[in-house]
Amino acid sequence: MFRQFTEHIDGNQVYLLFSMFIFLVFFIVVAILLLRLRKQHIDYMSDIPLNDCAEETPNLLKS
Amino acid sequence: MQPEKFYYDNKIVRNFGIATVVWGIIGMLVGVIVAIQLYQPAMNMHNQYTTFGRVRPLHTNAVIFAFVGNAIFMGIYYSLQRLMKARMFSDALSKIHFWGWQLIIVSAVITLPLGITTSHEYAELEWPIDILITIVWVVFGINMFGTIIKRRERHIYVAVWFYIATFVTIAVLHIVNSLEIPVSFTKSYMVFAGVQDALVQWWYGHNAVAFFLTTPYLGMMYYFLPKMANRPIYSYKLSILHFWALIFIYIWAGPHHLLYTTLPGWAQSLCVAFSIMLIAPSWGGMINGLLTLRGAWDKVRDDVTLKFMVVGLTAYGMATFEGPMLSLKQVNAIGHFTDWIIAHVHVGALGWNGFLTFAILYWLVPRIYKTELYSKKMASFHFWIGTLGILFYAIPMYWAGFTQGLMLKEFTPEGMLKYPSFLETTMRIIPMYVMRSVGGTLYLAGVIVMAFNLYKTAVQGKLVPNEAAEAMPLEKLNPAASTERWHRRLERKPMLFLVASLVVILIGTFIELMPTLTVASNIPTIASVKPYTPLELQGRDVYIREGCVNCHSQTIRPFRSETERYGEYSKAGEFVYDHPFLWGSKRTGPDLQREGGKYGDSWHYNHLMDPRLMSPGSIMPNYDWLIKQKLDTSGTAAKIKAMQKLGVPYPAGYDKIANQELEKQAKGIADNLAKDHIRVKSNKEIIAVIAYLQRLGTDIKANKTANK
Repeated sequence: MFRQFTEHIDGNQVYLLFSMFIFLVFFIVVAILLLRLRKQHIDYMSDIPLNDCAEETPNLLKS
Repeated sequence: MQPEKFYYDNKIVRNFGIATVVWGIIGMLVGVIVAIQLYQPAMNMHNQYTTFGRVRPLHTNAVIFAFVGNAIFMGIYYSLQRLMKARMFSDALSKIHFWGWQLIIVSAVITLPLGITTSHEYAELEWPIDILITIVWVVFGINMFGTIIKRRERHIYVAVWFYIATFVTIAVLHIVNSLEIPVSFTKSYMVFAGVQDALVQWWYGHNAVAFFLTTPYLGMMYYFLPKMANRPIYSYKLSILHFWALIFIYIWAGPHHLLYTTLPGWAQSLCVAFSIMLIAPSWGGMINGLLTLRGAWDKVRDDVTLKFMVVGLTAYGMATFEGPMLSLKQVNAIGHFTDWIIAHVHVGALGWNGFLTFAILYWLVPRIYKTELYSKKMASFHFWIGTLGILFYAIPMYWAGFTQGLMLKEFTPEGMLKYPSFLETTMRIIPMYVMRSVGGTLYLAGVIVMAFNLYKTAVQGKLVPNEAAEAMPLEKLNPAASTERWHRRLERKPMLFLVASLVVILIGTFIELMPTLTVASNIPTIASVKPYTPLELQGRDVYIREGCVNCHSQTIRPFRSETERYGEYSKAGEFVYDHPFLWGSKRTGPDLQREGGKYGDSWHYNHLMDPRLMSPGSIMPNYDWLIKQKLDTSGTAAKIKAMQKLGVPYPAGYDKIANQELEKQAKGIADNLAKDHIRVKSNKEIIAVIAYLQRLGTDIKANKTANK
């Protein structure tokens, strides 16, 4: 399946490898930042949509 | 500090909601009509303005930009206000945005049937409307960022990141793909030609799917699903990871629409690799959505909004798995240009965009009208008929795609094409086309039921145009005392966030586009390829006006099954004067790149007048108006001048003699037709179209003759 890559990118491997490398670095950076986030903050962020300050309305579809 | 009292603007949400439903019905109705035209060409009512080539773009534009577009704005205007704990920045801008967007849609409804089109898929609207889109998009951006800036919630929830990424990326895509030179108020030529134009178009086309049909809907999913299920999103960390990965990777995947074409091989390999990687962030979003319902699956049984959400997310998962699979070259070789792609996009459009929109409408309308939904039974009926509609649409289209894709590639043991006539493969799948139109009609029926249900809901309630809310104003932070982590800080700074998103999408854009747009060796020129004659150029513009590209490709892939059927495979240098490129994306009829010289002028004349005269059973509509209508040559000089500006090497002053040349060539074709007892004046449109068709793909043959 992946023979096409190895056969058809002569002299152009640099594009593929360079692009993959950029993504790898980007992904690792985001992952590290994520691991360093505090649980308290994550819980706060997750709850934002549920605390929108409007008058509480019951699920109108269920009533 | 005292809490501040403020009001959410529900009226603008209601307006976008009405527009969503109205345009949704219109767009889908047009879809059903064009679906029927594919087996009953007479459904064009013998009228050029309602013929497939012109109306198919109307369907795609109406469902993407009118139905989905208005739904996006409805969802954003509702959720953004609540997530930011602030009313929209400016009521006036909200109104300008709403009416401006409707004006764009009405302009599309008028211009597309008139044949005023750039021919770039999903970007067909001509330059004055492009400018209007830019203005309205900027108005939307100011209104959105103004709201974010005056917010009362310090941190920006993930849904809003998706909205910001949508805004910035669509702006970049729209501007780059609309680079065109105006020839008149209703006509322009694309700045790029051939391969370059194709690359820009599909970088745009694919990312329009990504940043118009996907990211805003993921944002809405992250707001509305927790509200509907009354529980927070499954994993906020996953949402951050998949957001950044999604916007980074998506932008690279566009050229998978151009596999096996003359696009440089490295760009094709690169986009395949990134397309495969795209499964991960896409499924990250789907899994995050579905797992939000953990422990709440009992609610799904009772709550129709959640049912729509679950099927919508599942359709998203299916479409985003299938997309990467279709980008594998071996799979693409069969699927591309067939109805498989039509099935693929409709699983996404009907399932993901449609069902999420319906869920949000059913959830939101009773809330802003402070009432209950008029009928749960009707909503449930809508869910089931909609699901059936998707199945009846997608399954026949998959079947048609596999059948035709494989038939076109089949050889006899003697090494000849088993089905040398393209029409034979088309006729085999006509029953699938009939079933597809039934599926589409079922889906549309569900939407009409929803419209009635929502109307009755609105009538029994009363709109709360300004919904009261209270929140504490934001305190000023002391930057020196801040010990926050990087991402947490970023979440407080919307403009920085915008720049970060922009940088992320520009990385892929530059690496992928710039070499092909700037390095000449990527597009080897061919000495014998010459600019179109004035008559051919005019004929090409009629071809564009009639939307022939919607059914006929002009690029031959290097497969034996294609070179046997159509002729020599395409070379990049053949398209250097094609502003715009006309490679197409679907072969409802055969490829036309080597059409020149295949048949005589009289064959084309008769075929355009009534395709069934030459090809019994053909589903191509009659183009008899080309025989009656006079070719408008008043713009020839302007067209030649515009082409010269774009680098097409017409001699200096050629614009002044262009019409003389045009008339000379037209007379030659008319005289040729007269030999076959066809009497037609040389100033008719059909003459120009025949000239263009007879030129197609012939330059390279001249090269061979010269070499001999």
